[in-house]
Amino acid sequence: MHLNNSLNNKLPSVILLTVLSALASLTVFAAWEVQPKLGYQLTPLPKPVPAPDFTLEDMDEEKHSLSDLRGKVVLLNFWATWCPPCRREMPSMERLHQKLDAEKFKVIAVNQMEDGDHVFAYIGQLEVDPTFTILFDSDSKVSNSFSVKGLPTTYLIDKQGNIRFRAIGGREFDHPEVEKQIMQLINE
Amino acid sequence: MMNRPDKLPRLNARRVRHPLTRYSFSLALVATLACHTAPASGAKITAQQNEESGLYSWVAESEGFSIELIQLLPDFVRAIYMAHDFPDSEVEEIAGYCVFGSIIKNTSDKQLDYDVADWYYTDTKGKRYSIKTKSQWLEQWRKAGVTFSWTLLPDKGTFYEGDWQQGFTTIKLPRESEFTLTYKWTLDGTEHTDHFEGLRCAPEQLAEQ
Repeated sequence: MHLNNSLNNKLPSVILLTVLSALASLTVFAAWEVQPKLGYQLTPLPKPVPAPDFTLEDMDEEKHSLSDLRGKVVLLNFWATWCPPCRREMPSMERLHQKLDAEKFKVIAVNQMEDGDHVFAYIGQLEVDPTFTILFDSDSKVSNSFSVKGLPTTYLIDKQGNIRFRAIGGREFDHPEVEKQIMQLINE
Repeated sequence: MMNRPDKLPRLNARRVRHPLTRYSFSLALVATLACHTAPASGAKITAQQNEESGLYSWVAESEGFSIELIQLLPDFVRAIYMAHDFPDSEVEEIAGYCVFGSIIKNTSDKQLDYDVADWYYTDTKGKRYSIKTKSQWLEQWRKAGVTFSWTLLPDKGTFYEGDWQQGFTTIKLPRESEFTLTYKWTLDGTEHTDHFEGLRCAPEQLAEQ
């Protein structure tokens, strides 16, 4: 009885602390979300490097291999839902995907260490659903093979499967300069 | 060496009044509270305070390189690592550090290289500490069975025009301690060093809690 009374007495303060902690986390997260303006520069590699091949599953557990995309230019993006710049650049990837010819260009976003349910829930919150391919690199083996050190990191791969451009950090991928670089690769 | 530490700005966060009496959880904009341009050879340092939380962030802009450090509350850090299923002991260990969100950028059109292992911080008594790098954390986490590896600022990087990166930086000092971060980078092969003064660890919790 005494214990119950004691708990009852403490309960409001415990609830208050919990709520305040949650709100504090929210405001800290909001501050951490204040992000630099996204640029558009992609760095050309001095010498094209063959992209490591991989096979990963999409949300429907369908397998996709990079080598199956020979003949197309591929924008390969490594991302996660908790990564603010990854989320910010995603709409520009979708716009690019919508704009360019699907027979010649493909956007692939390789999620890092999250499961399909989590990503599905995240996509449900977006204003525009990404229609490009999202694959799951559940143990980061593929990102390791590309020597990705931080998220987001993006590679532009030519029709022969060689990495030609790289971007570390978020970008506006539908910027005219990026589109021009992609079109150059498509037209090679 | 591009800097002259004796000439660098001293941006002491304690000199800035905390407007915490008027606590608001609305997602208001960050207010710029102080800005100081250093002499030509030093970093331009800007301090900001978040109107909602009272937490601070600082940006140091040096030749070709900018670094931003954002105070994070221990509970926020706990929430991040708990969400990724870290063992309680590891969650508590990193939450016991003074953790900053950090954003680093190549602001030039040249090749920039950095290595966090070359950086260090100095407390107010002048004692110097190495930064625990991402590799060191990952080694520790691997032993604890953790494979998640994406939250911390990468140890090393080669950035070209437009490249930037973010992640947590961990400082082993008590809450609200002041310190100076000394950071190094090379730009087109030339080494640079700067001192980021007046930094301060976040409090254990917000003042109203």
